[in-house]
This record gives sequence, structure tokens and C-alpha cells, in this order.
Amino acid sequence: MTQIVTLNKEKHRSLVVDARASAAYGDSRRFVRVIVKEFPHLLVHYPILFSKNPQTGEFYCGAMLGIDEGENLFLEEWADRQFYRPLDLQRGPFYSHGPDLAIDLDDPRVGAEGGKPLFTEQGQPTKYLQSIIWAFQDLNPGVEMTKLFIARLLELKLIEPVDVEVEFDDGTSRQCVGLYTIDEEALASLPDAVVVELFRRGYMRLIHYMIASLKQVPVLARKKNSLFLKETGSLAGARAPAMG
Amino acid sequence: MKTGGFSVTLIESPDIRIIGVGEGTWPTIRGSLEKIGVSETELFKQCDAAFKQGGKFAGWTTGAADDAYYHPLMLPQGFSQVNLVPHWMRSARDQSFCDFVTPQGRLCDDGLAPKTITSAEYRGAANYSYHLDAGKFAPFLAKHCTEKLGVRHVLADVVQVNQGQSGDIESVLTPQAGEISGDLWIDCSGFHALLIGKTLGVGFKDCSDVLFCDTALAVQVPFETPDAPMASQTIATAQDAGWIWDICLPTRRGVGHVYSSRHSSEEAAREALLRYIGPQHKDLPVRKIPIRSGHRETFWKNNCIAIGLAGGFLEPLESSAIVLVELSAKLLAEQMPANREVMDIVAKRFNDVTHYRWGRIIDFLKLHYVLTRRTDTAFWRDNVDPATIPERLRELLTLWKYQSPWFFDEFDRLEEVFPAASYQYVLYGMGFETEVIPEDTLDSERLASRLRQENERQTQQLRAQLPTNRELLNKIHEYGLQPV
Repeated sequence: MTQIVTLNKEKHRSLVVDARASAAYGDSRRFVRVIVKEFPHLLVHYPILFSKNPQTGEFYCGAMLGIDEGENLFLEEWADRQFYRPLDLQRGPFYSHGPDLAIDLDDPRVGAEGGKPLFTEQGQPTKYLQSIIWAFQDLNPGVEMTKLFIARLLELKLIEPVDVEVEFDDGTSRQCVGLYTIDEEALASLPDAVVVELFRRGYMRLIHYMIASLKQVPVLARKKNSLFLKETGSLAGARAPAMG
Repeated sequence: MKTGGFSVTLIESPDIRIIGVGEGTWPTIRGSLEKIGVSETELFKQCDAAFKQGGKFAGWTTGAADDAYYHPLMLPQGFSQVNLVPHWMRSARDQSFCDFVTPQGRLCDDGLAPKTITSAEYRGAANYSYHLDAGKFAPFLAKHCTEKLGVRHVLADVVQVNQGQSGDIESVLTPQAGEISGDLWIDCSGFHALLIGKTLGVGFKDCSDVLFCDTALAVQVPFETPDAPMASQTIATAQDAGWIWDICLPTRRGVGHVYSSRHSSEEAAREALLRYIGPQHKDLPVRKIPIRSGHRETFWKNNCIAIGLAGGFLEPLESSAIVLVELSAKLLAEQMPANREVMDIVAKRFNDVTHYRWGRIIDFLKLHYVLTRRTDTAFWRDNVDPATIPERLRELLTLWKYQSPWFFDEFDRLEEVFPAASYQYVLYGMGFETEVIPEDTLDSERLASRLRQENERQTQQLRAQLPTNRELLNKIHEYGLQPV
């Protein structure tokens, strides 16, 4: 159940929220929605790809966190804040409601042991709450900017499906379907005027971040494979994934 | 169209209505529309389009209440590797042939769409074409062609055709736009056949001796509720002297009785139609459309090509007319003569191929009738009279007693209108018997059994994943389909 209410510094003065990443809090996701502003942070760890909303078919950008459904291979790195955690997960139980911040009081993070307070005794936002406010200052316009970016890529036919196929040392393989990336051939054949336009709008940079981030797919595969190694004690390494 | 050094002008009479009977299409139309750059989302939104996954033929074999079979649009599993007919004949007669080889019949039974909202435009989990509002489709295409492809659209009536000494058409005269000249003419004047028939004198080859239906009574039936379930199969229900089509669009059904006026009075045909749609619809306007079954003796003469109704027409079974329009347009585009010198050579090829295609379509439509076991009316009895069956079809029917139609044999022409799979669905849907020698199936037994399992697996999977036709169409109207 959800019980989303507008955040109120009087009513919620003593509320605490557990901001840590945890499977119990819904961080176990193979793919999480991201905005274009996050791309520079993401590309050093995660493949950035497109996928479709299963309800509407609309494209969105996401970071790939695992290979199997419900698998996030970065929970350890997130626990000690080594790696960047996408805003959509950082925001935790918070939502934006017009100009206000709202919170889902039924979320398990709310009131959890070890949680952080939202307000100081004087009623001022804590550092934690301030970080949430900043996250939404990025997220709200960021979602729109990401939509515009995707719409332009679709117009230019720059998005193509990608088959991510990974083989593991335990003999199994996985095929991740429903993922899309930049069509590099189409990109290379764009007319000069469009190349300049994409550059000026800052899209060219984003496009190249996405292309470069594909190199994280084999890294992700090796990460998962090392889990198999721990389990089986095998010594072989992961085979390079086939991308086509 | 200003590519390839030529331009295209469409001269259309502002007053003559389109016939607009054909609301069904064949899957080739997806390729045709994608190729000319039409957005599938816009097609759904602007042409009141819905999915078509095949035909369901009720009452054609015995006329009994449970007599029905599917002609789905998906090929049988592993069609290029193995012919499953002998395997079905030998070991699976408890199941329909359709269900033995493809999930599509069961998807139709469940009212499921052939794709999901995350499928790209023109892509699907199951093969499909469209049911659409022909009255909206024509202006939709005209708009696309003028705005995107540079076709000039002139609304004018042709009152005079000027020919040169060789008989070639040089220009046409219109009161609205004056004289319009051209090098190559496509006669799309429908039943008038203004250029190919009236001007160039090409005769008409009647085939009502093979296909008896010559009249259609068409009606548009509203849904009881806006969210009523929709079928994605064209339902063709056999009658005493013809058959009734039933096509679902999102906003209404298109229903029509196609019958032979030699075997039924108009009065009786109207009554049959009313019985089918129900007495609550007795006041709906019924349009009467003549069907002159047959085609031109030549399709390309001099510098004129007949495409569409000017080239020929058949009863709207299996959407064959629109397929021929597409195939003819494609053939012309690919073979566009570079100059007048080579035109007659291209014309000869065009005529050969198009003659062949008409012949095969007539054979295929007749196949639906000759396999009947109905003897209750003269219409069905007359249909099995060998004198009414084209010779080639008679030969094939003899051959098929001992071998079933398949991938390589017989169907050798590039872009056969109806593939061997379609013949299989009709033949074995109607209980045709092909003798099977058990030893002949031994080699492929394991493959066949694997394909059978694959078919069951795929059927379960699709049934679990696919939305209903209505659900998906609503989503397409709300969100659109993505181009990739």
C-alpha cells in the first residue's frame, strides 16, 4: 500500500528515513530510469541504454545494474557510497507534488531503525533532506529534457535494438531483451548540419556517453561471473559477451 | 514524385465515390506502407484500423453449427524445413491442422492482439495485416503521397483522351485543369476502365463461370458498447447462395452478404443478412454493390497500365484485390521503363506475371468452394461441378491426393500471391485427404515432434503476454507505437 502525503515540517518533524541502499527497499532492480544529467556519473560504472515502458511503449533512458530480472550487482558499492547511485533510487520514498515534496508514509524506509532525521530540532531541513530537495530540482526538469533528447533521436532514427547476450562459466547464458542503444551507422551518416545541431544542443556528448558506456556490459558480466566463481570455486574467467 | 527523373500526377474525379468494400488487407501491406514511409500509429488513428490475423470460415465444409476453420497469417512452424501435413495426417487428427502448426488460431479464439505496446511499428509477435475503413484509407494515402512523396493531386474529370498514331495516350482533357499530358498512364478509374477499356479497347475476361457471386449487400453495424470485444479474424460465414463477411473496426463492424444472383433473389439475400446482424439492426442502410468477377485480357497496353478495379475485380474473399494492387504497384516501381523503346518489353513481363497472379487468385478462391461437402443448395452443388473448376486447379487437386502443397513444389514464382501454406490451411481446414505413406515421415519425425512442442510452448507464452485487440488499440490511440 502507499500513503503519499505532502511533507510538513510540523507534522513530520521527528520522522526518520533510512537512506541506505538495500534489496529490502527496492534497490534490487536490473534497470533503473535515469536522466541525461546523470550520464557522466553513470558511464564510469553502468551501461546506459534505452528501454520501453511496458505500459505505454514509450522510450526512457536507464542504467543497467544487473543481468537477471531483479538483480542489482552494485548493492555493496552503494552501501559504502563508493559508486554513484541513480537519483531515482536516491530519492527513496519521496515524490514531488507540484512545488512541494511528498512522502510515502507506508514505505518501509520511513521510520526504519537507523534512519536519518529530515528536520533539525529547529525545523530546518537536514543535510539529508536538502540532498533530496536538490535531487528533485534535477529530476523534474531532467525527465522532460530526457524526453526531448529521446524524441530527437527517434526523429533522426538513431535508436536501434541491441541484443545483449552474456555467457557465464557455469555454462549458462543470458539474453537481455527489450534494450536499445545508439545506431552508430546512422550516426555516422548524419548530414553536417544535424551534427552541428546535436553538438550545440549538448546531445552529441550524451550520445557518445551512451556508446562508451556499452563497454560496461562485459564489466557487468564479469562482475556477475565472479559471483559464480565464489559459489563454485571455479578458476576460469567470463567469456566476452557477444553484442549484436 | 520527383525521384528517378519522373514526376507523378494523380487525376481524381471530385465526384465519383470510391467503392470501399474491401476493408481487409493482406500482410504485404505492412511492407508496402513502411516502404513509402507511412507511420503505423497514424494509420491506426486516422483510418480506424484494427488488426487482422486471418480468416475464419464458418459453415463452408458441411454447414453444421460447429463447422469452422482458420486460415491464419502465420506460416506453419518450421515451414522452410519440414512439411508438417503428413505428420498431422498420421498422428494428430484430434487437433485441427491450424492448431497443430501455429498459435494464431488460438490467439484469434481469445481475441488477442498480434503484438504489444512495446512492439515497434510494423513488427509483431504474430503475423498480421489490417481491417480498416477504406473510405478513410484512400484520403489518408493521398495526403501522404502529396505531402511527403511529392505527388501532384489534381481534382478533375477526364472528358477526353488524346491518342497518338501508335495508339499511345498523349494527354487527357479536363474541364477543371485543362489538358494534362504524360508518358505513362495508370488507369485507376475503377469499373469505368476509362483508359484501358474505353480508350484502348482491351476486353474483359469474365470469370463468373468459376466464381458465381456477383452482388454484395454491405452494411455498417455499430457495437452494442464502445468496449465490446473485437475479433481480429475476418469471419466469413457460408450462406445458401454465397457468404457473409464480418469485419471488426474499433468503432463498428463492416458486414456484407456476397451472393450469386443466379442462385438467390435480392429479397432472400437481404433477409439472410438481417438474420445475421440481428433484428435490432433492421433499419441500417444497406448498400448494394455489383461484383463483375473477372479481369482485363491485357493489363498493360501501349503506355497504359490498369491497376485496381480497372484491371479486374473478384468477390472480396481473402482480400485478394488489394494484394494485387500492391504487387502491381511494386512491380511497376521496380520495372519502371527507362524510355518508350523498352516499354513494350517491360509491358510483356508485367502482363505475364499479372496474368499468372490473377489465375492463381481465382484458383485459390475457387478452392474454398470446391472442397465443400454441402449439397443443401444449388449454389454449393453447382460449385463442385468439374466444368466450373479451372483446369490447373483440377490437376492440383488430383496431385494433392498424394502429396501436399509445400515450400518448393509448384509455387515457384517470385512473390506468389498466396503461398503454399495458405493452400494447406484451406485444404486441411476443410478436411481434404492426402494419402500418407508412413515410411515417408520417418526421417523428419523428430523434427516434427520438436516443432509441435515448440508450437505449444509459443502458444502458451503468447497467450500469457499478449493484450486483447481492444486493449492494445486503446493504448495505440493514447500513446502511439514507437518506430523502433
